[in-house]
Amino acid sequence: MSQRISRRVLLGGIPGLGGLLLTGCSRDMFVPPQVRGGLVGAADMLTMGTNRFLQRDQPLAREYQRSDISHPFPTWAQTNPPDEEYQRLRRGGFTEWRLPVSGLVERPVTLSLDDIKRLPARTQITAHVCEQGWSAIGEWTGPQLQRVLEEAGGAGPSARYVVFHTYDGWYESIDMFEVAHPQTILAYRLNGEELPMGNGAPLRLRVERQCGYKNVKFLKSIEVVDSVAGYGKGAGGISADYGFHWFAGV
Amino acid sequence: MTSEGQRSGGGRWLRLHSPNVRVCHWINVIACVYLFLSGVHIFLDFPELYWGHTGYQGHPAIFKLSDWGLSWDEAGVLGNRMWGRNYHFTFAWVFLINGLVYAGWNLARGHFRRNMLPRRTELTRRHLWAELCEHLRWPRRTHESTHRYGTLQKLSYMLLIFVYVPLMVLTGIAQSPGITAAVPQLLDMFGGRQTARSLHTFGTVLLVLFVVVHLLEVAAAGVVNRVRSMFTGNLRVPEGES
Repeated sequence: MSQRISRRVLLGGIPGLGGLLLTGCSRDMFVPPQVRGGLVGAADMLTMGTNRFLQRDQPLAREYQRSDISHPFPTWAQTNPPDEEYQRLRRGGFTEWRLPVSGLVERPVTLSLDDIKRLPARTQITAHVCEQGWSAIGEWTGPQLQRVLEEAGGAGPSARYVVFHTYDGWYESIDMFEVAHPQTILAYRLNGEELPMGNGAPLRLRVERQCGYKNVKFLKSIEVVDSVAGYGKGAGGISADYGFHWFAGV
Repeated sequence: MTSEGQRSGGGRWLRLHSPNVRVCHWINVIACVYLFLSGVHIFLDFPELYWGHTGYQGHPAIFKLSDWGLSWDEAGVLGNRMWGRNYHFTFAWVFLINGLVYAGWNLARGHFRRNMLPRRTELTRRHLWAELCEHLRWPRRTHESTHRYGTLQKLSYMLLIFVYVPLMVLTGIAQSPGITAAVPQLLDMFGGRQTARSLHTFGTVLLVLFVVVHLLEVAAAGVVNRVRSMFTGNLRVPEGES
């Protein structure tokens, strides 16, 4: 009986693995930019590999009804960056705020908030899942990150990560598999209103399949890169430099 | 489960635990200690529990540690979610792989079916009641400390391995935004991410109770003999016992 089960598992697994190879998935899909040592590093790869194997067809994170929305949406960590430039931009209603999109794109571009609002937007009611343990549901609106990169002519063939810099002094990165996901958007609206300051005004990242610390607020600039080695300690984000797993799917 | 070994001194040795059971048991002990400690760290960083899909500070909670005398800030100083998450997920893998090896090996060998599946005659109300009364007698009759699993023991092990552990794994991964994106049924199964988190926490309390009872049983059956048998595989049976 055990033999029959193992054969079935095996036969079921082969098409899955074959599909993975055929869709041209890269090593990046399964391995974080900097692999930690020891047992923790091995578990990181198992965790990320399992998540990405399950997500290989890019399923959407659950979208909820309007009636499920959490009021008021909680705020956490930095809610008003003391950065001088940020405070100046905020006083001006973010009319002078600009988002440079640079790096491995065809033609680097700098976008105003109006430029971003003119792009086709996606609205999604999703759960924000904080790594601390709390979760809240909100309706986010903004263009898909992929669409924003297209304003710069799209990411080049050697692109592997998109790095985000923020006004609260953070940087974070996601890989191209996450960039390609339809729910990966740059949100300027929460629950139909301008993004409140506590939630990252004027623009924040939404990565719906990863925990809170990936969803950085107060965006300052975006870079498309082939390596995150030159940033911080090279782990791909401040939280990862500090000791969190770079992949925040669990 | 048992085979008679050589006689020595005033008793004989019984071959009680297979190498697979012994190795998996001790790996499991290490994994569970780490899972428990790291889980407590994660919990202390957000010491409230909720029911349903959402839960955050200010949302109606079903449990608040602050009601029990430990403020949010005090708990935050004790907990460390970064250390907690790193070790919880690391030892979750150790626990899972070890558990699959154990379950697969012993299913294939027939250990569960032969020694741990209660027989129909054991499951009658009268038998269970009699065994419970016998079990709670103090001091214990010597013949109870034998090498065969009692029905209550069989039932608790089977529930633990095939019901409790899968539920703990599922309530754990039902909290993951990555896995629930691919398997949203996990959210419906428990009625929400926060419900899963609460059940996962209650399950931890249950496990602590199980371990306390388990250790008391070991103490009652003879610490040295029982712990030694989990290392060497052999249980010493004094002269005159079955």
